[in-house]
Amino acid sequence: MELLQLVINGVALGAAYALVALGFVLVLNATGAVNFAQGDLVVAGGFMGVALVGLIPLPAILLLPLVMLTMAAIGLAVSALAYWPLRDRPPVSVFISTIALGIIIQNGLNGAFGAEPRTAPAMFGAGRFEFAGLAVGHQSLAIMVVAALLIGGIHLLLGRSQLGRMLRATAQDREVAAALGIPVGGMVALTFALAAALAGAAGLLLANQFFVSPADGGNFIVKAYIAVVIGGWGRVGGALAGAMLVALFETVVAAWFDYAVASGLLYAALLAILFVRPQGLFGETVGRRA
Amino acid sequence: MLKATTRRFLVIIGLAAIPATALAEVPRIPVLVPLTGFLSLEGTAQRNGAVMALEADKSVTFEVSDTGTSPEVAVNAMERALRDIHVGAVIGPILGTQMLALLPLAEEYRVPLVTISGTAKLTEMGNPWIFRFFPGDAVTKVAHARYVAEELGAKRPAILFQTTAYGQSGRAHLAETFASLGVAPVYEEGLDVSVKDMAPALSKAMATNPDVLVLHLHSGPTALLVRQARAQGIDIPIVAGSAMHQPTTAALLEAAELKGVCAESGSSPISGGSSEMERFAADYRRKFGSEPDAFALAQYDATRMLLAARHAGAVGGAPLRDWLAANSFEGLAMTYKSDGKGNMAHDAVIVCYDGDSRIPRIAKRYKGVDQAL
Repeated sequence: MELLQLVINGVALGAAYALVALGFVLVLNATGAVNFAQGDLVVAGGFMGVALVGLIPLPAILLLPLVMLTMAAIGLAVSALAYWPLRDRPPVSVFISTIALGIIIQNGLNGAFGAEPRTAPAMFGAGRFEFAGLAVGHQSLAIMVVAALLIGGIHLLLGRSQLGRMLRATAQDREVAAALGIPVGGMVALTFALAAALAGAAGLLLANQFFVSPADGGNFIVKAYIAVVIGGWGRVGGALAGAMLVALFETVVAAWFDYAVASGLLYAALLAILFVRPQGLFGETVGRRA
Repeated sequence: MLKATTRRFLVIIGLAAIPATALAEVPRIPVLVPLTGFLSLEGTAQRNGAVMALEADKSVTFEVSDTGTSPEVAVNAMERALRDIHVGAVIGPILGTQMLALLPLAEEYRVPLVTISGTAKLTEMGNPWIFRFFPGDAVTKVAHARYVAEELGAKRPAILFQTTAYGQSGRAHLAETFASLGVAPVYEEGLDVSVKDMAPALSKAMATNPDVLVLHLHSGPTALLVRQARAQGIDIPIVAGSAMHQPTTAALLEAAELKGVCAESGSSPISGGSSEMERFAADYRRKFGSEPDAFALAQYDATRMLLAARHAGAVGGAPLRDWLAANSFEGLAMTYKSDGKGNMAHDAVIVCYDGDSRIPRIAKRYKGVDQAL
């Protein structure tokens, strides 16, 4: 029963990590470069929830659309500042520019909100459901449901819509997509906007249960990076699976050993995958590694 | 009328007659504190306390530098500050790993280093230039463990500590004091500052059937653990480290979640206790728009003692070091006096929340814990 409880905790945490990893891999596929500011965008989303609840005292579920829309606009700005001027340079240039942008975001949040941890409003309120000896917090359940809906929505967008087809075409080959008349620049900007919106949602979901402070961004991007490497570089499904695996190491494995050992085992598993199956569990998109 | 050359000659003679020290001395105190990174909350409180004392005195200038989280940044900041020959003392960061890196510099430049870092090792290395104004682990962790064992009567504590130097130092002192009191912890685990889900640690700890949770964590992890423990229905007493006394930590939790939660600290300004303390708290709120904590108060007292030394003629270097080592100072939080190793603070308090508000009451005072006075 205790194991099941930890698995539930891990799934809730993994669902939020999956949103971060999904945004990370969308940008990776669209640009071929790593957006290292993705973790700081998660933090920005959390702080946006902190700020909004002071102006509009509503449950986070009602603030979520506003947070995502605002973060999408920020994503467009990230695209304009960190990607567009360097789009013809090697991918490492975007890697470095997004690191710089992440630091700017972090220090900006520190200046605006201060250094102390903050808590964002709960999705539906405090409390927990108890059944069969298990306890699931309202917030944990909300994280799982909201993340599932958002991931499902992205899946439908990418797989069933004309816009999604254009996004996928851009991700697969920008030159051919441009030759077909697809506005590649616009698709890349939209991808950044989607990634930032997902990061903002993750930040709002996590900030109530786990608090948020300006320095948290580094942890989120490391987890996203590990998830994507484990799942397969550029694989959307792989990123989601990788994120879940990272969370389960933090909960289930940490319960059997301790956090330090669990963290070591996660990195050992990462190294083992790199040695034995370097393309990741689900294989990788060829020629995209950065 | 004097010729121009004669006038110039007289001006030069006149200037040469003015003592060089009066022209050159612009006393400056660098304030090196972590304003970014995981200890930025405590560093900001430290900065605020120092600034409040320095601005009230006006006899010195000061410059605040952010030391972040890495020792290298702190060392660079101190080296930059010490290029000014009129620096007589340095206010050092609360982060223990940074302070350890600054100790050799203080000795090399012969500059007293004043800190509120609680890491025990700082005053155990024989460096005569460090002065710690926050009760070290040898005081606070003794009070912490004594409250758990003597006041709560606990026999089976579970200890959760941070894996930083601060956390490991505190854990060592807790273990030593519990052993001296005949209490054996039933569980111990170190947590990295990045850990968010405390459920694994809590489930393992509770599996050992403890009668109290003893925490020695930084602010965010402390609040996370208290919240998640209460959310899991864990209602045994929690006695936390000084991070839990901070108003900003309590603000993360509902008042009801704080029921049964206590914390050790050097002091608790918001708990009042005297008109001077209440005035300090009111002035702090007015100036910084936030509640003062023990770190701010300790740095305020430390800076006032530095300034008192200057007014007594010990303006810097060895004279200042000797003055700090030989004299006591009546601060707002406590009486400060060196034990010969640079530990100036020897009192601690335990504050407890009643579950109705986020303002704790002082449940127990421990004076002269290490019997240095």
